Amino acid sequence: MNVFLLYILLLKATMTSFSGLASLPMVRNDFVVERHLLADRQLNTAVVAGRTGPGPNGLYLVSVGYFVAGWPGAAAGLMAVMTPAFLILPLMYWVGARAGTPRVRGAIRAVILASAGLLLSASLPLARDAIAGPLPLAIVAVAFAVLSFTRIDSAWMILGAAALGVAVKLAR
Amino acid sequence: MAVFFRIGNTTFGGGDPTMAALRRELIDRKGWITQEDYGVAYALARITPGTNILAFCAAVGARILKLPGALAAVVAVTLPSAALAVLFTVGYESWRSNALVMAAIGGTAAAVAGMMFSTVWLLVRSQFKAINAIWRVAAFFGGAFFATWKLGITPVPIIAVAALAGFLWKEE
Repeated sequence: MNVFLLYILLLKATMTSFSGLASLPMVRNDFVVERHLLADRQLNTAVVAGRTGPGPNGLYLVSVGYFVAGWPGAAAGLMAVMTPAFLILPLMYWVGARAGTPRVRGAIRAVILASAGLLLSASLPLARDAIAGPLPLAIVAVAFAVLSFTRIDSAWMILGAAALGVAVKLAR
Repeated sequence: MAVFFRIGNTTFGGGDPTMAALRRELIDRKGWITQEDYGVAYALARITPGTNILAFCAAVGARILKLPGALAAVVAVTLPSAALAVLFTVGYESWRSNALVMAAIGGTAAAVAGMMFSTVWLLVRSQFKAINAIWRVAAFFGGAFFATWKLGITPVPIIAVAALAGFLWKEE
């Protein structure tokens, strides 16, 4: 498949969605149903690979590109994931120029608080998946306390939790 | 760029955990942006098409170093993870059965959940300190949480309604 066309198709999916995996229905329609470039099994593998590694969930599109056209396809997927991010810059400029007025400040604070509510909503399913017993529950509590009330680098928290998970597994 | 590279490529679980880890580094440890900068970037990233975390990184990178900062931040967060996603795609079936790797990922998932709760707490606390109006905080934070958690409303209309209500409801 032409790599530019692949980029356009993946870009269409990213430009019309607002979170990493929200583009999935459009990708499936274009690549599995309409063009038969992917099997459902490959799409599932791409999603799992994108969610398993570090970084944004939207990176599954890189795996989709790889399945369709090898490393050039992966590059097309990467570009399609990155391109919409820069739309935020004119948005920031517009808001920044008006941030001094009381009503705009009120709107910004309201949006920040609403975002915190959305983040809590996004956190709960993740926590539910992560808390599979007393040990993960303790890790959640310790991570919350350490990161809320100390200045310890979060990377140490992540590494410590990974090491603890491995140590407990080895001990069993 | 090193901060985005390190956090973006070592934090599992997608965009929200990565933004939580970046908040820690960019505000608490480096002091490169303010809590308000973070909140605005977070909120606008939710309404920017594509992958939220990349829009967030573009906004924060631009806040620190203008357009070169935005480019560097997005590339640093994306490129290594994208390469890993392809490698995971290729090798997923073989290492999915590795118990130690899965134990490490389980530990990090719990730490990430704690980190996300900490981010919610810090965002709400900062806004409460700024405006000291519990009803306003409860309305926007609780309202957004209820709308998405109980009613299943997507983030874009919630952010839009919060912005409009915050604009119209004058702060005391």
